[in-house]
Amino acid sequence: MRNLLSSIGLICLLALAGTVQAQRSVVEDTHTKATIASEMSVIGTDEVVWLALNYEPIAGWHTYWQNPGDSGMQTNISWELPEGFNAGKALYPVPDTLPVGPLTNYGYNGASTLLIPLYTPKKITTNSIKIKASAEWLICEVECIPQYGEFELELPVGKSLASSENSSLFAEARQKMPEPAFWDAVIEIAPEASKLTIFMASEEIETIENAYYFPTYEGVLDYAEAQIVNISDDGLVLNLKRLTGSLVPESAAGILKLSLPNGEVTAVQIDPALKVVDAIQTQVPAAPVTSVEEGLPVWQAALFALLGGIILNLMPCVFPVLSLKAFSFLSAGSMSKSERKREGWAYTFGILASFGVIVGILLALRAGGSVVGWGFQLQEPIFVAFMVLLMVLVSLSLAGMFNIQTGFEGAGQSLASQEGSKGAFFTGVLATLVATPCTAPFMAPAIGYALTQPIYVALLVFFMLGFGLALPFLVLSYSDRIAKAMPRPGAWMETFKQGLAFPMLATAAWLLFVFNNEAGSIAMLFLIFAIITVVFAIWLWQQGNGKILRTIAVAFGILALVSVFWNVESQHSTESGETVSKTSNSKFANASTYSNAALTELTNEGAPVFAYFTADWCITCKVNERVALHREETIKLFDDKGITVLKGDYTNRDAEIAGVLSKYQRAGVPLYLYFPKGQKDAIVLPEVLTPGLLKEMVETNNI
Amino acid sequence: MLNKLIFTLIIVITLSVAGIANGVEVGKVAPNFKAIDTKGNIVSLSDFIGKPVVLEWTNHDCPYVRKHYTSGNMQRTQSTLTEEGVVWLSIISSAEGEQGYVSGLEADKLTASRGAYPSNVLLDPEGNIGRLYTARTTPHMFLIDEKGILQYQGAIDDKPSARPASLKGATNYVKAAWTSLKTGEKISVTNTKPYGCSVKYGH
Repeated sequence: MRNLLSSIGLICLLALAGTVQAQRSVVEDTHTKATIASEMSVIGTDEVVWLALNYEPIAGWHTYWQNPGDSGMQTNISWELPEGFNAGKALYPVPDTLPVGPLTNYGYNGASTLLIPLYTPKKITTNSIKIKASAEWLICEVECIPQYGEFELELPVGKSLASSENSSLFAEARQKMPEPAFWDAVIEIAPEASKLTIFMASEEIETIENAYYFPTYEGVLDYAEAQIVNISDDGLVLNLKRLTGSLVPESAAGILKLSLPNGEVTAVQIDPALKVVDAIQTQVPAAPVTSVEEGLPVWQAALFALLGGIILNLMPCVFPVLSLKAFSFLSAGSMSKSERKREGWAYTFGILASFGVIVGILLALRAGGSVVGWGFQLQEPIFVAFMVLLMVLVSLSLAGMFNIQTGFEGAGQSLASQEGSKGAFFTGVLATLVATPCTAPFMAPAIGYALTQPIYVALLVFFMLGFGLALPFLVLSYSDRIAKAMPRPGAWMETFKQGLAFPMLATAAWLLFVFNNEAGSIAMLFLIFAIITVVFAIWLWQQGNGKILRTIAVAFGILALVSVFWNVESQHSTESGETVSKTSNSKFANASTYSNAALTELTNEGAPVFAYFTADWCITCKVNERVALHREETIKLFDDKGITVLKGDYTNRDAEIAGVLSKYQRAGVPLYLYFPKGQKDAIVLPEVLTPGLLKEMVETNNI
Repeated sequence: MLNKLIFTLIIVITLSVAGIANGVEVGKVAPNFKAIDTKGNIVSLSDFIGKPVVLEWTNHDCPYVRKHYTSGNMQRTQSTLTEEGVVWLSIISSAEGEQGYVSGLEADKLTASRGAYPSNVLLDPEGNIGRLYTARTTPHMFLIDEKGILQYQGAIDDKPSARPASLKGATNYVKAAWTSLKTGEKISVTNTKPYGCSVKYGH
């Protein structure tokens, strides 16, 4: 209805021309008061006379920049000028981002002024001239209403004289214009990402807290995606996303908006050289943070990876799966040495092969410009769903409901050695899949380093990590003494095997919790039903050999699997909404949500800040929270010292947090940062926290 | 069983990764979708393999859409193309309560009152198809050839304006793309920035 009224209003107004004044012409359309004004009250020959087009929208409505973003419209002006006069392109003030649902627009909340140059000819024969313009602009709240106005100025000709009436309008308008370029820049544009590098000296970068790029033309970046700001040796680097299949822009020129300390904002025009590439090279973030080492030598990273891998065996997330391996080892006494070695190596290869797959995908995604980190597969609800299903099936198999031929259940049975190797391989795969979200001490610097290095270095580091994970059991499989010490197989092993179903179920429960947070409780309900249906299908299958029976069983199984896919997919698209409504499980001293802006604001005030980055699928994080963070003594310590806590949740993919992780050369959570009072450089804490360590950190660094 | 499980895992990983990339690309297969039309029928893009298809994102209250309908420009484009065998799907991705949201009945009334010629009007209040195609504005146009390959995406014409006067001398990109496609010529403009109101997705 409102639209109808406004369009009637619009039609009425179409007939109205602006009120003629000497130096100003004003039009009031339904939602905007628009003014065209001249900077000169008397114009001369062969000069540039600036005209201003000022919009004053009613409260809550916005107008658009020359590139309006995902939707919207720039101002269209058509001029009717006397002979010899020319109007140039309109200059727009620095825009803001205007999010609308899943889209983002560029424009102005409240008033804005465009500046248009008018070139006067060498000779003007009349005493005064008439300038006519019709302008169309769009104004939106959520819904949009096109506005239109016809303007007319009449200006005397003579010795040029500035208009005193309009001088403040022009002064204000010029203040809001971007500064001319003084930095060189280059942009690489790949199909799904682009990377903007602005060449700056390090002392210039030091003064910059955040940056945002507004491209003038379509195709440079996906407006709705976060822009990730990094620092490299060359200068400031913005990692940008692009929509698949978007246009290749003719130019990447635009406005770079920079946030400076004490809340100041400045904006400059830049015109980066355009390079179209197949993929963006992952850059080496040389973060200007004192507490991060300059980068490890390769051998040290490899050694850290090996140590990290070995320690990973003890991390809580790997433990249930490793108990399977331990169990299969109990049968070592009944195996020949060569069989044991073969199993040991099969297990190692299982780990290395799945590491290879995960790292390959990780590197490929990074090369494509996606920001993903360690454990990224657990950010995909579908993957988590299938892990839950797998864990339930393995545990039911252990409990004896049916028999998955993995070998590890079969100690004491007549084990074909080939089945044993297969089982060991599978255990390796399983161990890797659940181990990846964990990070152990030593691992984080190694992985963070590896992801920024050439591929062969990355592969070396990940190989060492996988090898470290496999190493303890590999060594054991070579030891005759340990094999002999194993108890004799017997009926007790069946009982023991059944008992192992419980740690597996516990893993399933943890994964279910992760899934619930990612996809929502309805999706989780579906998943549980799907699991029950799959188990039912397997049970049905076992009831006999009949064709009909087995077809029904298979049908049930497929139905269940499909329902998971179907349901998770639809949930996934509303993922962001789910995350917002999700209740935080943290009681940790009123932690506010981490954002770069919040951090900057706090450190500017000089307040001490503790920022921690966690994810529901990160068991190490959860353990740290239990053991060290969510404890009365820690909360009291933080309260006493006035430390503000910021929490970054990386359960679902989050570009801003990924940016922080890469800044500190980490590939995954946890990450604990402490900014002592009055300091902007963080102290990076180890991955395993203790209350004592926190206390020491605060007491030694609180200046 | 073991091999199958590992195989399933590999598939799952691959799919999860594939799910990360989205959007549509000119020259690539247009992603399939299923939707309910105004009559309650299930319509899927794959039903029309063998026929060229136009997708038109629309919102009858959007001033840019109104420009093309009140002037008869959209209807003329629709009738020209559908008479030549093109399937024209108008898609409404406005969420319930947002501008442009209509029931099937209301959508049919709009089609009748405006004298429009869509083959089907699809209701997408969840915004699933819109997000699948990253439809950003109304109108936002897609032309898919008879093999299911996306041939054009973007604006309906080269005059981003809500004023009917702007239609004079405008180049209708969809018509131009279709003319080239049916005569086997190379389409000169295949990808443009769409203009108009934002698609009113639910929040």
